[in-house]
Amino acid sequence: MKRKLSALLSLATAAAMLSACSSSTASTTTAAATTKAAESSAAEQTTQQEASSTAAATTEEATTAGTTAATGGVSLTVVTSFGGDDGNRQNYEDAYTAWEAATGNTVKDASATSNEQWKAQVLSDFETGSEPDVLFFFNGVDSNPLVEGEEVVSIDEIREVYPDYASNMDDSKLGASPVDGKNYSIPTAGYWEAMYVNKTVLEDAGVEIPDADTTWDEFLTMCQTIKDKGYTPIAVSLAEVPHYWFEYTVLNNGSRAVHEIVPTDSSSEEYTNWVNGLNDIKDLYSKGFLPENTLTATDAETFQLMADNKAAFAIDGSWKMGWFFGSTDEDGNEVAGNVDDVSRYTVTYVPAKGDRKTTDMIGGLSMGYYITRKAWEDPEKQAAAVSFVEAMTTDDVVGKMAGGTAVTALKNGTPAAENPNSLVLDALAMIKGSTGTVSAVQDNLSSEQKTKLLVDDVKLVANGSITAEQAVDDTLALAK
Amino acid sequence: MPQNQTPAGRPDRPALRRARRPARRYSAQAAVYKNRRPLWLFLLPAFTFMGIYLFYPFFRNIVDSFQVIEGLGMPAKGLNDPWYLNYSKMLTDPVMRTAVLNTLLLMLCTLVFQVGMALLLALLVDRAGRGAGFFRTVYFFPIVISATALGLLFNLIFLYDGGMLNQLLQQLNWTSKNIDWKGEKFWFSTMTLPVMWQYVGYYFVIILTGLNNIPAELYEAAAIDGAGPWQLVRYIKWPLLHNTLCTCLTLAITGALKVFDLPWTMMPNGMPLDKSWLTGTYMYKQTMLAKDVDYAGAIGVFIVLLGVLLSQLSQRIFRERDE
Repeated sequence: MKRKLSALLSLATAAAMLSACSSSTASTTTAAATTKAAESSAAEQTTQQEASSTAAATTEEATTAGTTAATGGVSLTVVTSFGGDDGNRQNYEDAYTAWEAATGNTVKDASATSNEQWKAQVLSDFETGSEPDVLFFFNGVDSNPLVEGEEVVSIDEIREVYPDYASNMDDSKLGASPVDGKNYSIPTAGYWEAMYVNKTVLEDAGVEIPDADTTWDEFLTMCQTIKDKGYTPIAVSLAEVPHYWFEYTVLNNGSRAVHEIVPTDSSSEEYTNWVNGLNDIKDLYSKGFLPENTLTATDAETFQLMADNKAAFAIDGSWKMGWFFGSTDEDGNEVAGNVDDVSRYTVTYVPAKGDRKTTDMIGGLSMGYYITRKAWEDPEKQAAAVSFVEAMTTDDVVGKMAGGTAVTALKNGTPAAENPNSLVLDALAMIKGSTGTVSAVQDNLSSEQKTKLLVDDVKLVANGSITAEQAVDDTLALAK
Repeated sequence: MPQNQTPAGRPDRPALRRARRPARRYSAQAAVYKNRRPLWLFLLPAFTFMGIYLFYPFFRNIVDSFQVIEGLGMPAKGLNDPWYLNYSKMLTDPVMRTAVLNTLLLMLCTLVFQVGMALLLALLVDRAGRGAGFFRTVYFFPIVISATALGLLFNLIFLYDGGMLNQLLQQLNWTSKNIDWKGEKFWFSTMTLPVMWQYVGYYFVIILTGLNNIPAELYEAAAIDGAGPWQLVRYIKWPLLHNTLCTCLTLAITGALKVFDLPWTMMPNGMPLDKSWLTGTYMYKQTMLAKDVDYAGAIGVFIVLLGVLLSQLSQRIFRERDE
């Protein structure tokens, strides 16, 4: 009897281990995500019970929320870049918790801050078969492996079953895939990149705020004055996010017409623009205009210098607006931003040199919500995934994400901001005065190339460990 | 008279049966131990698990290290040209050289500071008497905190602007400017210190257990002979701890090869300027960021070989001896 019992226990243990291997639970990309998933899992059980008793009401609410009817009790794993200190984090949380309440479904949120490591991790999750159900990700070259591998579902395919999917969006602005020209993702707010300015530091240093006429040389003089006064002229982490400065220094050495073209060899015009752009960053570093720890600091660390009135300028995207003035949560409560007085900050064009007009900007619609093939082919999750994406891309949610200033693909245009503060007004004035927008050239690089250039090599060029030519050559070699 | 015979000389059968019962039970138990089949049954789940999740991936990884694989989960695109390309690349890769040197240096620090500090603390706590339990808990505590959480904690301590250490030094007027603890000057101590601190408690508990196993009679005899605290350490504790220390040193050497999470949290991407790579972090980078999965596989094979070599070496050097 004892032997039989022992054998039974052994077999049960073996079966338990093997059954764990075949679990289809999607992996989460970060430690924080794992925790969040565990919390959601616990919440899921409660929600399921509630959902079953209010199924009729839920369907009605879902419809009024502008969503496709989805069966309650479904748990979706969602990966987005609205993690960390993203300016739209609160808007994102509000939107998905409202969807959870309306449908009885739950979200296992595995969001993180977007950087090269995050992008690589997302793609690895697909490669290892542990992709999420819904993904908010880039629609440029970064998404090529997803489209080529048929890991995500095209909007046309979704519309065959759900004809009203993304009907509030202008299809021509969705950001078609470079692979086949089809639309796969639905964007929320687009972006622009510009220079945030700390007025307090500039006033103390006796420097005027750069405007549409400021040249690069004038900007360098401003930086020197600010440095002499004891401040850090430019808040940037070359270790983590040199991306924005790379874009603008390359644009400064080229033009809007050729900016999106990735050089093919060392004889091309774009190659020279890249080399000169990297050398401009090196010049800023060697002149001491960047934080002393720029080679080791995180983006959050260097941006804090702006809040602490220790740095004057920082280039970042439209998504950073919320970092300054906060947002409003689902209950209508104000969530504080990171600065005491938002009126002491403004946003303006990045000073230009060469053929570029100062008012030429980097911007576009580079990210959107994808439904993965895995969720689409899961009868339990398909409707919920469609419903979720629809709920996250309503005019209202997109309007909040855009904050009144960012580009959107909405047919009705970007809703105006309610009670805009001075920073929003400055951003609107800047957009109004823009002479043209061009997408970031890094969107046309593969993840490996971006890692090589922007994570590995920019800081080495700045420090003088390698030349700009070496960095560009190494990056282009990866394309071959 | 034999116990199992009646006065008439006939055997008392019930008594004999009673006497035989324990022997039969004993032989039944012995048969259980002789029968090896249940033993295999118990070993099967663990063996299956190890086979699927350890040995198969390991041998698969050796094969993969000779092929072209451009992403996790992607199929191989044939053999490298030449097939040993990744191994020759490893010999000329300056970052790999940095990673190996850093790993060996970290190993040395582990031996000296982790085991050394653990020994010192264990000897002190062993003499403490009252409060020994308190110290045991305090020193062991860092082990139970996740390395990622510790990394974030130490990131705040070593923060450049407003970090605890920089603020403290400025309050004490030891420096007027912030120090970049992750910069080229201090990166190694900034990376190593938390790793040392985290695992001191682990070796401390092992050594303290070794000290507790030393018979009290030896201390009493030594005390009668007039031995002082130093003589107790030199002539009783140190020799009797030899085997425990051998175990600790072997664990420390192999453990240093696996250090990954804390350095990655604090000094990602070889910060600063490709100086802080360890073999583990460099393998991760090649897999997850550079997508050079076959090269990462070759680095993995190298790490295993290095581990086997060093653990064999340590077992020869720190050979345990019979008590």
